[in-house]
Amino acid sequence: MVEETFRSRFRTEVDGSDAPPGADYHMFIGPQHPWCEEPAHFIIHLKGERVVEADIRIGFNFRGMEKAMEARTWRQNTMLIPRACGICSAVHQNIYVRVVERLAGIEDQISERARLIRMFSCEAERIHSHMLWYGILAHDAGFDTMLHISWRDREIIMDIVEDISGNRVNPALMLPGGVKRDLPKEKIDRTRPKLNDLIKKVEYHKKVFVEEASIRNRLEDVGVLTKNDAKKTTPNGPTGRASGLPFDIRKSYPYELYDQLDWNLVYYTEGDILATTLVRLDETLESLQMCNQILDKLETADGELLARVRPRIPAGEYFARAEAPRGEDVHYGIANGTDKPERYKIRAPSLGNIDATLKRMDGEYIADMPVILRSYDPCFSCTNRIMIVNDTTGEKMIIGQDEFAHKAIKAKKYNRPFF
Amino acid sequence: MSNELKELEDILKITFSKDQVKEVRKVEEGHFDVLTTPDKAYDLMKILTEEAGIYHLSTVTAVEREKEFNVFYHIQHRIEEEFREVPINFIVTGISKDKPKTPSFVDFFVAADYYERECYDFFGIYFENHPFMQRLILPEKWPDDVRPMLKEYGWEELKEITLGIAKQISEND
Repeated sequence: MVEETFRSRFRTEVDGSDAPPGADYHMFIGPQHPWCEEPAHFIIHLKGERVVEADIRIGFNFRGMEKAMEARTWRQNTMLIPRACGICSAVHQNIYVRVVERLAGIEDQISERARLIRMFSCEAERIHSHMLWYGILAHDAGFDTMLHISWRDREIIMDIVEDISGNRVNPALMLPGGVKRDLPKEKIDRTRPKLNDLIKKVEYHKKVFVEEASIRNRLEDVGVLTKNDAKKTTPNGPTGRASGLPFDIRKSYPYELYDQLDWNLVYYTEGDILATTLVRLDETLESLQMCNQILDKLETADGELLARVRPRIPAGEYFARAEAPRGEDVHYGIANGTDKPERYKIRAPSLGNIDATLKRMDGEYIADMPVILRSYDPCFSCTNRIMIVNDTTGEKMIIGQDEFAHKAIKAKKYNRPFF
Repeated sequence: MSNELKELEDILKITFSKDQVKEVRKVEEGHFDVLTTPDKAYDLMKILTEEAGIYHLSTVTAVEREKEFNVFYHIQHRIEEEFREVPINFIVTGISKDKPKTPSFVDFFVAADYYERECYDFFGIYFENHPFMQRLILPEKWPDDVRPMLKEYGWEELKEITLGIAKQISEND
């Protein structure tokens, strides 16, 4: 049998002149399109109703972050790095602080308590990211009820994140040397019943995806990515784990204290969209029970929250990875002895997953396209409101962004509180 | 033969022939740097992919040093029975600064295709035998000789170029 040759789906001419033979219709989606919230240009070559080949062009949202980091100090970059992604901000910051700690040589000074709080932030992020994703997947499959159910229940974990960090999607809890704020006992007690409530709800979500025929039929045996194809197109994270590549960096190369927790690696071998959904659903449940374990450990763990890091980082280089909700997140930092990085490289997980996802489309119906393209979780952020909570009275105030800016300027000008 | 090289050979279950590897460094437990030069890189990667069975490429990083370019291929050796990964930084050193050239690894990894194009885009490093060596990310109207990640370009200078392109487009419309 002749082995099939692959080519990367990023090789696309602007005018579509490299269309494959046999295609009789070409569909251009994006860069601005209501379906995809972030700018990417998909070119889909069709024969009748079947996809012959799908290509992509990227680069519409290029911000020059790696260059910007070279102009800022290591300390300033701690607050720039979570902005790499709207949803998985904590995990980007987690890798960054680990790179800085390793280069500064203070890895062993980080206390157990600081590491546990970091892990809690990362796991909470994974839960809300996955819940957001399967809500939108159901929406793309035409099952809007599930979107509203999962997003309603997602508010529980968003409230927890807001409670522990003060922000809904950008917790930014970590600093080189430890964490910014503690997770006190009363917050742990407040969080525990919410988590247990959420476990029941996610179990119900899983039941819907597995048993409800109208959604299951849209996902099962659609866009199958076999293990052989997966090895060639190198997907990472849940996309790879649905195709039988059982690699999760928390297990395969443990960081923080993941090797001290009791949890199971989730992977499926079917390779269809239902498998990627189930990987994420099971992972949500695993993360929830991991959160409970972390809270148990936090009751007894102690230690300094923040170790001292000198602003000048000694020369050296380090490559670190972490398991983001979407897959393998890779950072590579080079220090030159000053307070600014010499070079800092970020590779977010979605880029590595695009080739595999477009491979899934070959020979599928055009109607399955939204579901398949959604499967690798292209991310978007939607934070346009601010809730201010008065810590002593418990008073809450929800305002928009403009109003917040207005109030903040006034408060600063006249030196008066918000309330 | 250094201890690090022996340890890496034990993990990968292969043996390198003499002088193939410039140097092997151990970053931490189960994490290695493999250094090589552009003329030997292709054969070495062939051994790693075909004999040791490495198939996962995480990313490609280009780095500008004082006198040369380095290209880092971050590859993972995956041991499926143990659910374990051994990260290896495959470093191509000694790429000259005038007309930088290094072999492309598209033959071994599909993913190398776009990661290498990204390096070409930002640093101007040319990957030989790459079938589609074109820009990936920067806009079409970006000047060809400006490689923004090089140290000679500052933040303000790039801002001027970007605003210049935007102005040119809005005038043409």
